[in-house]
Amino acid sequence: MAETSTQTTPQDVQKLGNPTSPALECSSISKRFKTIQALDNVSLTVPVGSIFGFLGPNGAGKSTLIRVVAGLIKADSGQFNILGRSSKTGHLVRKDMSALVDRADFYKNLSAYQNMKILGRLTGHDQDDHVNRLLDLLGLYGRRKDKVKTFSQGMKQRLGLAQALLPNPRLLVLDEPTTGLDPQGMHEIRDFIQKIATQQNVTIFLSSHLLHEVELICSDIALIFNGKLAAQGSMSTIFREIDAVTVELEVDDSTTALAFLEKSDLVSRITQLSNAISIEIQYKNIPELLRVMSATGINIFSASQRNRLENYFLSLMEGK
Amino acid sequence: MILLKLTQNELFKIFSLVRSYIGLIVFTVIIPLILWAYGMGTTHIEQQIESSVSEMFFIEGSPTNGFTAAYFIMNFFWIHIPFLIALVGGDIFAGEHANGTFRVYATRPISRLSIFVSKTLATMIYTFIFVMYFGLLTLGLGLIWHGVGDMLVFQDGVLILESSDALVRFFIAYFFSFINMALISAIAIFFSTMVRNAIGPVIGTMALFIFVLMVSTLPLDVFEHVQPYLFTTYFSNWEQAFYDPIPWTDLFIGFGLIVSNIIFFLGTAFIIFRRKDILS
Repeated sequence: MAETSTQTTPQDVQKLGNPTSPALECSSISKRFKTIQALDNVSLTVPVGSIFGFLGPNGAGKSTLIRVVAGLIKADSGQFNILGRSSKTGHLVRKDMSALVDRADFYKNLSAYQNMKILGRLTGHDQDDHVNRLLDLLGLYGRRKDKVKTFSQGMKQRLGLAQALLPNPRLLVLDEPTTGLDPQGMHEIRDFIQKIATQQNVTIFLSSHLLHEVELICSDIALIFNGKLAAQGSMSTIFREIDAVTVELEVDDSTTALAFLEKSDLVSRITQLSNAISIEIQYKNIPELLRVMSATGINIFSASQRNRLENYFLSLMEGK
Repeated sequence: MILLKLTQNELFKIFSLVRSYIGLIVFTVIIPLILWAYGMGTTHIEQQIESSVSEMFFIEGSPTNGFTAAYFIMNFFWIHIPFLIALVGGDIFAGEHANGTFRVYATRPISRLSIFVSKTLATMIYTFIFVMYFGLLTLGLGLIWHGVGDMLVFQDGVLILESSDALVRFFIAYFFSFINMALISAIAIFFSTMVRNAIGPVIGTMALFIFVLMVSTLPLDVFEHVQPYLFTTYFSNWEQAFYDPIPWTDLFIGFGLIVSNIIFFLGTAFIIFRRKDILS
């Protein structure tokens, strides 16, 4: 019986990508625009299956890195791999990737359906049932024949997501996907991103300067300042590094709780709110405090951390 | 296969824009109007022709027939068509930049060469359709309206072409007209890769065309040395299709220069497009 080789050759990786590789792996990417060093030796790794938040203030280099990965601009040096496929393969590196960079833009004189068909045709994903299924997934099926110029910004952003999903990507890159949306639109897009990640099994690489948004949906993050990567890792690992966090406690007897907290060495700052007590505490000490409070007979209904990422972000900024 | 799909996409986009029909609508209105006016007011021309040649030749049919009318209109329009052609070529890259759709398009796993070739092909197909529509209206409608007959060409005297011969000459003339208009499209594409709005390339194309046309037609010694190398010098070369015999050598010299210009403008446009960072 002939023996079948199951080893993956380098040629296979170039053609098919490597399923065991990170979704995105950037190595020493630099890019300069005249006098501005937009990216300075940036290396990061996006694990498969994650919702990866790429954070930084405006002008930090988030969009530049995304544009390099999306093929819109060329890096001066460095390289990147997408699911094992090297950027040296040219446009083929983006075979399993799709991107929605900046705001979603369309041929406004065409309908949502026609816009989907035009893009789908580029990669052979323009079958009617596929296009209609995605429009349905993003809640646009009922408006598919309407011209895009009649759409609200939120609908355009959803249509942009539907277009990005056309080639059935394994990595979806989103650059500030909620910019310009009202709170309801932002909420919808966040829901869709989570839905896509879980239902479609897509790795999401998401840039944002909205820390709350990232904290809500991301499993991993990286932070960039002035074109340099400042930190990266899973959300839980990063939070463990945070020194002090703000926790809001909802208890049954606030007088007893306040008296207890004032005596505790674990707590550094206490503020009484209308229906809770806000305390500042080392992240690692939270379990111990809650255990001791319960043991002393204080009933804790909730203990919620506030703005963890913001604290972390600001501490890094101060350190720069 | 991908190139076919990309070109199909580009043609769909071109024909979904109102501006693509402006030139066609202009022809649809103006050419029948000229043909109508031609039928109404050529008595004087007809008498002149008959008095000058009828003693020497027997002319079959009316001397102001469909062929003569089509020739008359072609002479009149060759300088105006470039502006209408540039409307589409000028928009093909710059329009996508202005809309932001190029950002969406370029993130797909398609090479910039494929995008460039498909857009260029679609523009050239549009140019071909444009010239053919012009031909169909002038010649087709002209023949229906004013009938078939021998064609009179005034070139160093009067040349009379039989109707069967005239038809072939028109096809040759339309072919060379298409090549000339393809150069206008190539120039518009060249400007289109450089800017982010569609008006600039149209103005740039016309400005270059008018400038080169002036240099190639002004009878000044200093310009005469460069005139053989300017594309506008050969822009009326289609007229040579009606000479007897057809000066094929001259026609192909002009053809070579026009094609060289097309290659130069498209080649430069591709280099610009390939290196371009898409920042908006």
